[in-house]
Amino acid sequence: MILVNDIQNVVDKWGNDSENLMLIMRELETKSGKNQVDKDTLQTLAAVMNIPESTVSGFVDFYTMFKKHPRAKFLIRVSKSGPDHIMGARDVFDFIEEYLGIKPGETTADGVFHLEACECLGVSSVAPAMMINYDIHGNLNRESLKKIFDAYRKKEPSFKSDCGPETYADACIIDNGKQTKRLLAAIGTVKAESIDSYVQNGGYAGLKKTLKECKPEDVITVVKDSGLRGRGGAGFPAGMKWSFVTKGDMQKYVICNADEGEPGTFKDRILMEGNPHAVIEGMAICGYAIDASIGYIYVRGEFRKSIELLQNAIDQARAKGMLGRNILGSGFDFDLFIKEGGGAYVCGEETSLINSMEGERGYPRFKPPFPGGAGFKNLPSNVNNVETFASVPMIMERGADWYKEIGPTNCSGTKLYCLSGKMKNTGLIEMPMGTTLREIINDFGGGMKGGKKFKFAHVGGSAGGILGEDLMDLPLDIDQTTKAGVTLGSGVVLVADEDTCAVDYLLQIMSFFEHESCGQCVPCRVGTSQLHHILKKFANRTAKKEDLDVLIKKATLMQKASLCALGQSPILPIRTMLKYFKDEFIRHCDPGYSCPECDRSLKRYYSGAGH
Amino acid sequence: MGNGNITLTINGEEVTAQKGQTILEAARGNGIFIPTLCYHQKISKTGACRICVVKINDRMIKTSCTEPVTEGMKVETEDEEIVEIRKGILELLLAEGDHNCLYCDANGDCELQSLCYRYGIEPSGSDFPKNTREIDYDSSYGLKRNENRCILCGRCVKACAEIQVKNVWSFAGRGSHAHLTSDISEKIGDSSCVACGTCVQMCPTGALSFQQVLGKGQAWELTKSSSICIYCGVGCKIDFYTNREGQLVKALGCDDGPNNGHLCVKGRFGFDFVQSDKRLKKPLIRKNGNLEEASWDEALDLVVSKFSGYKEKNGPDSIMSFSSAKCTNEENYLLQKFMRAVIGTNNVDHCARL
Ligand SMILES: Cc1cc2nc3c(=O)[nH]c(=O)nc-3n(C[C@H](O)[C@H](O)[C@H](O)COP(=O)(O)O)c2cc1C
Ligand code: SF4
Ligand code: SF4
Ligand code: SF4
Ligand code: SF4
Ligand code: FES
Repeated sequence: MILVNDIQNVVDKWGNDSENLMLIMRELETKSGKNQVDKDTLQTLAAVMNIPESTVSGFVDFYTMFKKHPRAKFLIRVSKSGPDHIMGARDVFDFIEEYLGIKPGETTADGVFHLEACECLGVSSVAPAMMINYDIHGNLNRESLKKIFDAYRKKEPSFKSDCGPETYADACIIDNGKQTKRLLAAIGTVKAESIDSYVQNGGYAGLKKTLKECKPEDVITVVKDSGLRGRGGAGFPAGMKWSFVTKGDMQKYVICNADEGEPGTFKDRILMEGNPHAVIEGMAICGYAIDASIGYIYVRGEFRKSIELLQNAIDQARAKGMLGRNILGSGFDFDLFIKEGGGAYVCGEETSLINSMEGERGYPRFKPPFPGGAGFKNLPSNVNNVETFASVPMIMERGADWYKEIGPTNCSGTKLYCLSGKMKNTGLIEMPMGTTLREIINDFGGGMKGGKKFKFAHVGGSAGGILGEDLMDLPLDIDQTTKAGVTLGSGVVLVADEDTCAVDYLLQIMSFFEHESCGQCVPCRVGTSQLHHILKKFANRTAKKEDLDVLIKKATLMQKASLCALGQSPILPIRTMLKYFKDEFIRHCDPGYSCPECDRSLKRYYSGAGH
Repeated sequence: MGNGNITLTINGEEVTAQKGQTILEAARGNGIFIPTLCYHQKISKTGACRICVVKINDRMIKTSCTEPVTEGMKVETEDEEIVEIRKGILELLLAEGDHNCLYCDANGDCELQSLCYRYGIEPSGSDFPKNTREIDYDSSYGLKRNENRCILCGRCVKACAEIQVKNVWSFAGRGSHAHLTSDISEKIGDSSCVACGTCVQMCPTGALSFQQVLGKGQAWELTKSSSICIYCGVGCKIDFYTNREGQLVKALGCDDGPNNGHLCVKGRFGFDFVQSDKRLKKPLIRKNGNLEEASWDEALDLVVSKFSGYKEKNGPDSIMSFSSAKCTNEENYLLQKFMRAVIGTNNVDHCARL
């Protein structure tokens, strides 16, 4: 039972402002011991904070990490997103049902474990993965699962993350000497916990040089010249975005998008956990360029370890004078704070992220105005991805020309590609922009796992396109992928082999979109649900051939009319999947057609209560 | 340009708009129709229903309620592609909800119905699943709620937050499971709702409606007459609706008054007395413990004799008057004049509010 006093203390600790709701809620949930924020607690919280009950309630209801009903001491969340699905998420659910006796939504009789299905946890190279409270574990199989559960039975919950070693930054990099390492060079060399180690390896040289030698507008020129484009998915030129931030005396903000929710992506987590100071340094440089004295890193709530390491790095940087007032005697003030997510893919969309930072439901805002004009608290804000910011220090230190030496003219630099799925090796690689699927699979993935046949690669995340054999040699850079009707997105390369059923896979993708739609605009709210329903019919083998046209028609409407890119995206995986596997979909229209893959998913996810 | 004016073309015609206006505002200002659902001029913009999309410069599709006008912009409000999108959105809405206009309070006064009619949309008979949402007809004395008719436009949420500033409504859930909630998932009657009815008046569909106060009648059977609220000094202007039998059916805030269309619970629901059969129509005198009808002369004679008796026996200050806010200023003036000049006391009071 949480007392009024406890709630008052938590509010005092974080500050009585709805922008701190996420942190307050997280602490109250932890305090409950049952992973719950119950109605009484919410009512008291609203009274203590003097905000409407409906605000608190609407907030909690939006973020899947919170629940009003009691769960258990240990909350198990198993990811069912694309990479985990392909790598055996269903086996994990099977084993849990067998060993702990619970299905999603259920609690063990002894009240120790509660199970939920969730979307990608940002550790796809070690899929299938799960999270127990805030500890992430990957490479799950029957033996490892048994060991983990047995160990937790003997543990008491703690708020500090205790993730499996397979998820550690250096363990998630494919190290075969063939990479072009710029961003990843420091990982494994620099100690993430130590600013001294970062400085010894040349850290903060970019910031020093910037403050000493450049005027703010020069910084923007250098970043523009470098050709650096956003690494969050849309590929917008970074320097250009910085130049669009409204000028004037008002407070401005630098915001780092570390929500990393695109299924299959885990690069930002590795940067934050392997070399957090590079992100901080990049953000400080941006702050100097756009005249912002405050920065926020919005980290998805599941990345407890990233949050801990970043907070430690921020504290050290402050102590060393790399953050705070009058940095390095330059007269430039810049400080940095962490904001957390609550389990919502859509909060990676920059305006939804800003609403979430303000303690609101994560609804994307219509644009214009863009964040550069009216962002956080309606003040000018520049949002970039983690990888984008981490690239900035080296650009400032070594110059735009150096940066452009690698990669195509219009998409310069290296790119982090996140490899997952049915390859021998999976993990993070850094290669020049425009590396092909063939190089990625053969040189880094070590070929297909178990000698199976390649079926398709899903590149760019769930919102990305399906690539077949014919696109093996397509340079995976921002422009070439777009030209070929697909997208580079966040750099996900998820490989599926012949064992994957195209219908079953697309069903998971559509289930993802329905689950993650914010529900604000009509085309996406209703559209994602209808797309999901049509896919269920194919999986059920009750669809008709004409349903393929309905699928395309609905997804096209969504593309044209949705408010944000989430609703505009499903057409891409649908269209590209059908380009290759239309026959397979048509085969599924025959009620007599046998498809064990679809059968398994239907049984696992669509039978029983609630479906 | 000058005067902050902007020239743009809408449907091939050159029109003028003010800088900072949206395409929708510019179009409406020039008498050009663009359908809307989530937009309402009294609340901040939402951009959620997407029905107001238009085509800009032959290629971009944007919502006209959020997109600012720019110099030289070329807008097409309704080409084939836009109509296709509008129809698609309406189909989605009909599939999402449960719309049987036969049984709906909003029948004939529903923005969704009128757009479906305009664009020729019928329920598709598709097998898409519907999420059954809350129906709550009983918990509140003022409001009825049938969320299966809700299009999640958010007008009620914003009306309550931005106009009444009571913040009762919010959205709960997410994606296809999003729905309305009041406070922390309360029934509306158990929530902090003050029954001002602002949300109902702003709701474009029949999802929120008024508890019937008196009478019955569908939109086209009602006659509107405007009046001033009798309850307090704000003097809100009210549009009263009467049905064919002449009974009052509902009260809506009138935009012309000082209230800008807004009402409080009293102006909104406090008109049942008008046609109440409990209303006093003749003087009544209590005889042997029973109230009996009497003539005006008989009644007034009784009052005069009683007042005179008390005044003589206990002096004028033994009498006081208490007048009503439901009376006119003139009536109130007369009463105090009567007390001072005729009775001879300053014991005058008034129920400043009701
Ligand atoms: C549904 C959705 C999810 C997104 N998720 C992320 C994300 O997790 N991380 C990210 O950096 N960008 C994400 N984006 C893109 C952001 O909106 C934005 O473009 C990006 O953060 C800008 O940074 P950049 O220019 O450095 O790429 C997402 C966009 C959408 C529509
Ligand atoms: S497209 Fe989807 S996620 Fe984006 S605003 Fe609309 S409902 Fe929300
Ligand atoms: S809300 Fe409108 S469309 Fe729906 S049933 Fe009522 S009148 Fe018909
Ligand atoms: S109840 Fe009415 S005003 Fe409120 S969201 Fe639903 S349709 Fe809109
Ligand atoms: S009682 Fe309410 S509705 Fe009537 S005038 Fe006053 S504020 Fe307006
Ligand atoms: S009226 Fe413009 S989006 Fe709803």
